[in-house]
Amino acid sequence: MEEETQKEKVPLFKTWRAWYALVIGSLLLLIGFFYFLTKHFS
Amino acid sequence: MSRPDWIVLVVTLLGIIAYGLYKGRASKDLDGYFLINRSVPWYIVLLSIMGTQASAVTFLSAPGQAYTDGMRFVQYYFGLPLAMVVLCITFVPVFHRLKVYTAYEFLEQRFDLKTRSLTSFLFLLQRGLSTGISIAAPSIILSSLLGWNILWTNIFMGGLLIIYTVSGGAKAVAYTQQLQLIIIFGGMCIAAYMVIHRLPPHIGFTEALHIGGKAGKLNIVTTGFKGKGGGFDWNDRYNLLSGVIGGFFLALSYFGTDQSQVGRYLTARSLSETRLSLLMNGLVKVPMQFLILLVGVLVFAFYQFHREPVFFNQTQLNLLAKSKYKDSLTTLIRDYDAAEAVRIRERTWISAGAPRDGAAGYGRPENAAGSPPLTAGAMTVERQQSEDRLQQAETRKAGYKATVRRWLNDKTIGGDDNDTNYIFLRFVVDYLPKGLIGLLISVIFLAAWGSIAATLNSLSSCTIIDFHKRFSKKELSKDKEYRLSRLYTLVWGIFCVAVAQLAYNIGNSLIEAVNVLGSLFYGVILGIFLVAFYRKKTGGLAVFISAVIVEIMVVVLTILSRKGIIPLSFLWFNVIGAIGVLLLSEAIQWLKSRRLLH
Repeated sequence: MEEETQKEKVPLFKTWRAWYALVIGSLLLLIGFFYFLTKHFS
Repeated sequence: MSRPDWIVLVVTLLGIIAYGLYKGRASKDLDGYFLINRSVPWYIVLLSIMGTQASAVTFLSAPGQAYTDGMRFVQYYFGLPLAMVVLCITFVPVFHRLKVYTAYEFLEQRFDLKTRSLTSFLFLLQRGLSTGISIAAPSIILSSLLGWNILWTNIFMGGLLIIYTVSGGAKAVAYTQQLQLIIIFGGMCIAAYMVIHRLPPHIGFTEALHIGGKAGKLNIVTTGFKGKGGGFDWNDRYNLLSGVIGGFFLALSYFGTDQSQVGRYLTARSLSETRLSLLMNGLVKVPMQFLILLVGVLVFAFYQFHREPVFFNQTQLNLLAKSKYKDSLTTLIRDYDAAEAVRIRERTWISAGAPRDGAAGYGRPENAAGSPPLTAGAMTVERQQSEDRLQQAETRKAGYKATVRRWLNDKTIGGDDNDTNYIFLRFVVDYLPKGLIGLLISVIFLAAWGSIAATLNSLSSCTIIDFHKRFSKKELSKDKEYRLSRLYTLVWGIFCVAVAQLAYNIGNSLIEAVNVLGSLFYGVILGIFLVAFYRKKTGGLAVFISAVIVEIMVVVLTILSRKGIIPLSFLWFNVIGAIGVLLLSEAIQWLKSRRLLH
C-alpha cells in the first residue's frame, strides 16, 4: 500500500502531508474567521 | 406558478434527463455501470460527492435553520475536513488497492462473510428507507406551497431521475450531478442577490449582517457551555465540540462506509484523483454551507422590513381556518397585521438614520416637511419612544406566533407546528420575479435528483455485488450482470417512491422513525471499519459480537435520550457507536487470546 502511495504523483505539492496541512490549516482559519464574525456582529 | 416559471422548470428538468441519457453511455458491464471503468477526473468526482451529499432539504432547510436558530448549524460540518484527511490516509488506499465495487466487500476480505453481509444489509435497509423520506420531504413542502398533487410530486421528485439512472448508471449520475450543481449554485447566488436587492435602499449587505447579528442569527461559533460557570450542555446539538468531534465521526462514517459516497470516489481514475477530490471537498464544504446559511440570515434581514407571515406554512393556516379556531384565527391575523405595520414602520425609521443619543435632527420623516429641527433632547426622546414601540410590536408578534403554534399542537387539529423548511421557499414564491421562481423550484428538484440518483446506483451495486452475485450458485455472464444491475436500480427506484408515498400517508411518525434509524447504525458501522483498518489482530467473531452488543446499547441510549431521561444530542451516538465497537472488540479479542472465551 505504501509503495503504491509513493508511486502516485502528488499534484501541486511535494507530499500529501502538505495537502493535509492545507486542509486542516484552512479549517482552523475558517473557525477563527467565523469566531471573529460572531463577535463582531453580536 | 406562472407560465414562464413552468417553462423554466420543465426545460431544466427535461434538459437534465436528456443530458443524463446522452452522457450515460458506458461499457455494458459492472465496471462500466458502477465504476465508469475507473476513469473519472477529480473535479467530476468532487462535484459528484458534493451533489450526493447536498439533498433538496439542504437547500430548503438550511436557510430556514439560519432564520430561526442562527448560523451555528455550520459547526455540524467542522469535523468533515478532518474526516477527509483520515479517509485519504487510511480508507481510500485500501479500497483502491483491493479494487472493490462496494465498501463492504473489503469487510469479507478482512473479517468474514457474515460481517460483510450484516453491514451491507444495514446499509440497504437504512438507505432504502431514508431515500424514500428524502423524496417525500421536499415533495410535501412543494405540494403544500404550490398546491400540487402529492403523488405526482413524489413521482416527479423520485421517479423521473430513474430514467437516466437506470439507463446510464454511475456515469449518468456523475455527469448530471456536475450540471445540476452548476444550476443549483447559480440559482442560490441569484436568490442571495435578489434578497439584498429587495432590502430597503439604506440597508446594504453589511447592515443586513448587523441586523442578523443583533438578533443572534450570526452565532456561527458557539461553545456549548451553559452561561457563566455552567457545565457543557451534552444535549446542545450544534457547538464547536459536537461539530468537530461528533461531525468528524459522522463524516468519517458517511464518506468512508456509506456506499452512496464510496461508490462516487471509486470511479476516480487513480488514487491521487480520489484523494484530491476528497481533500477539495474538505476545503469547500464548510464555506459552501456557510454561504447557504447566510442566505437565511439575509432573508431574516429582509423580513425586518416586510410583513412576515404569521406562519410560513400556509397549508397549516388553512387547516386552522377550517377548524374550531376559524374565528379566533381571523381576529389574530388582523391584530398580527397591525403589530407588523408598527414593527416595520419603527424598524425602518430607526435603521434609516434616527440620530443616536445627543444629536439633533428632524425626527421622523413625516415631521420633517417644513418643521424646525428637533433639539438633541427631543430627538433622544423620540428615538427612545420608537424603540419602545418596536419592542412592544416584537413581543406581540412573538405572542401571536406562539398562539398559532399552540393551536396547531392541539390534538384535535393534528397540525405541524414547525415551519422552518417553508421559510426560504415562501420568500421565493412571494417575492422573486417570474421565471426565477421556476429556476429556484428546479434547484430543489435537481438537488433531490443528484442525491437520490447516486443512492439508487449504490443500492443496486450492493444488491448485486454483496448479495446476488455473492450468493448465486450460477456464474453470471457480463451481459446478465449488467441487465440485473439495471433491473435492481429500477426496483429500488420504485421502492423509494413507494416509501415516499407511504411517508406522506402515515405522516411525521414515519419520517421521524427513519431519521432515528439512520443515526442508529452509522456509528457501529464505522466502528467495524475502524477495527478493520486499525486493529489488525482483531478477528471477525470479536467484531461481529461487539457490533451487535453496541448496536443494542445505542438503541437503548436513543430511547432514553428521546424520553428525556439522559441529555445527549444525536451527534454523540456516532462517537459512542464507533468507539464502543473499537473497545469492546478489543476486549473480546483479548479474552479470546487468553482462552477465556471460545
